Amino acid sequence: MPFDLTVLTPHLDTLLAGALLTAGVCALGIAAAFALATALGVLAVGGGWAGRLARLYVDVFRNVPFVVQVFFLFYGLPEVGVYIDAFWTGVLALGLVGGAYGSDVVRSGILAIEPGVVEAAKVGGLSRPAIIRRIVLPIALRTAIRPLGSVFVNLVLSSSILSMITLDEVTGTARGVASETYRPFEVYAFLLAAYAGLTYAVSLGIDALHRRLNRHMADNGAARGAAPGAMEGTA
Amino acid sequence: MRHAGFTWHDGALLAQGLGVSLGLFAGTFLIGLILGSGAAVVRHFRVPALGTLLHTGLELLRNSPVLVQLFLVFFGVPALIHQPLTPVFAAGLTLSANTAAFVYFIAVAGLDAVGRDQVEAARAFGLSRIQLVRHILGPQALTFAVAPLVGLAVNQLQVTSLVSVIGVVDLTKAGDILNLRTLRPFAVWAMVGVLYFAAAKTLTLLGNRWERRLRAHAAPLGL
Repeated sequence: MPFDLTVLTPHLDTLLAGALLTAGVCALGIAAAFALATALGVLAVGGGWAGRLARLYVDVFRNVPFVVQVFFLFYGLPEVGVYIDAFWTGVLALGLVGGAYGSDVVRSGILAIEPGVVEAAKVGGLSRPAIIRRIVLPIALRTAIRPLGSVFVNLVLSSSILSMITLDEVTGTARGVASETYRPFEVYAFLLAAYAGLTYAVSLGIDALHRRLNRHMADNGAARGAAPGAMEGTA
Repeated sequence: MRHAGFTWHDGALLAQGLGVSLGLFAGTFLIGLILGSGAAVVRHFRVPALGTLLHTGLELLRNSPVLVQLFLVFFGVPALIHQPLTPVFAAGLTLSANTAAFVYFIAVAGLDAVGRDQVEAARAFGLSRIQLVRHILGPQALTFAVAPLVGLAVNQLQVTSLVSVIGVVDLTKAGDILNLRTLRPFAVWAMVGVLYFAAAKTLTLLGNRWERRLRAHAAPLGL
């Protein structure tokens, strides 16, 4: 059988419905991950039991495979009486793991702030919550936007794993199309290219956002880590 | 009569699964390391056509889900070449190529971090390209790349959990089998999680020790 992408045309609307579900679960998951990453990042910088707990959380969620986390949430939790449907399990799982990876980024963004800035705010009489909200986070998140972006791109890729808990997102629908058309190579090659195109577009958007948020900086925020981000994955 | 409780044999099943996961990880990481750094060297010397081709292909691999790559290789390729692939072969091929893609980008950054003047000095002394890579670029790039490589290794160990989908009996599949018999998913997935966690932690510890050793000569002498 020669390579022929036209076999996919009758199934494009099915795949599109799956893609929309992927977009939905990813958008909610990324929003949850961003909120959790910010909160955990702030906590992890501090000492005391809160800091230790935040670092333990990150350690656990970074070192256990995403599939195992998803299975635990979807199949394990009902055993103790907690029922969540596939879609919200997906949002929860993406939020939990994205929060763990993202908090490391936020944490290093906070650690990179010049101590003088925070000291000036303290001398100015700002309360601790006000310093975090008005001084620390605006600076830290601005430098963290690019590495956070690659964490979110990886979340989009990880969302394909949710097809294993009966969620019919784009990978799940593609499996259906592959078994219906008997043309798995075309289906999965198309899907692979679609994911790559999507993540490429997202990273271009993040670059633009990064430049816009850092437009007042002398070097346009050009200073960034050489390699990190490249291997920040979730699996 | 159905035996629904946990037995000692389940421990053996999990241990066997862990062995398969670790073996698959070690093998594919090694192959990926060789292929990825080879591609980075090709890129570094700006080999026409081949460099661009490798770059595009590896960028595509890095930016797509491993699950879809596994499906493409295990279900897609046999449909195209009319030749079935075994699950272990498909898993090994996919994970090696995927690792190579990530290693490539780390190695490119590492090679770029070595100063240009050193390369020019080596050329002036008449070193061949192979000597240049072996004695000048390689060791220094490795020192730059070791930290991201350790992070990548921990990540790729977790990625092996996906091969259970195409029927390789790794730790995740062992957990699946155990779950079907005992119907105690909460305990089973917690146990599987703990085993992966322990393996990843050990790997991080070993990696950090190796990193300290590689950087020992570069550490400030505390003057």
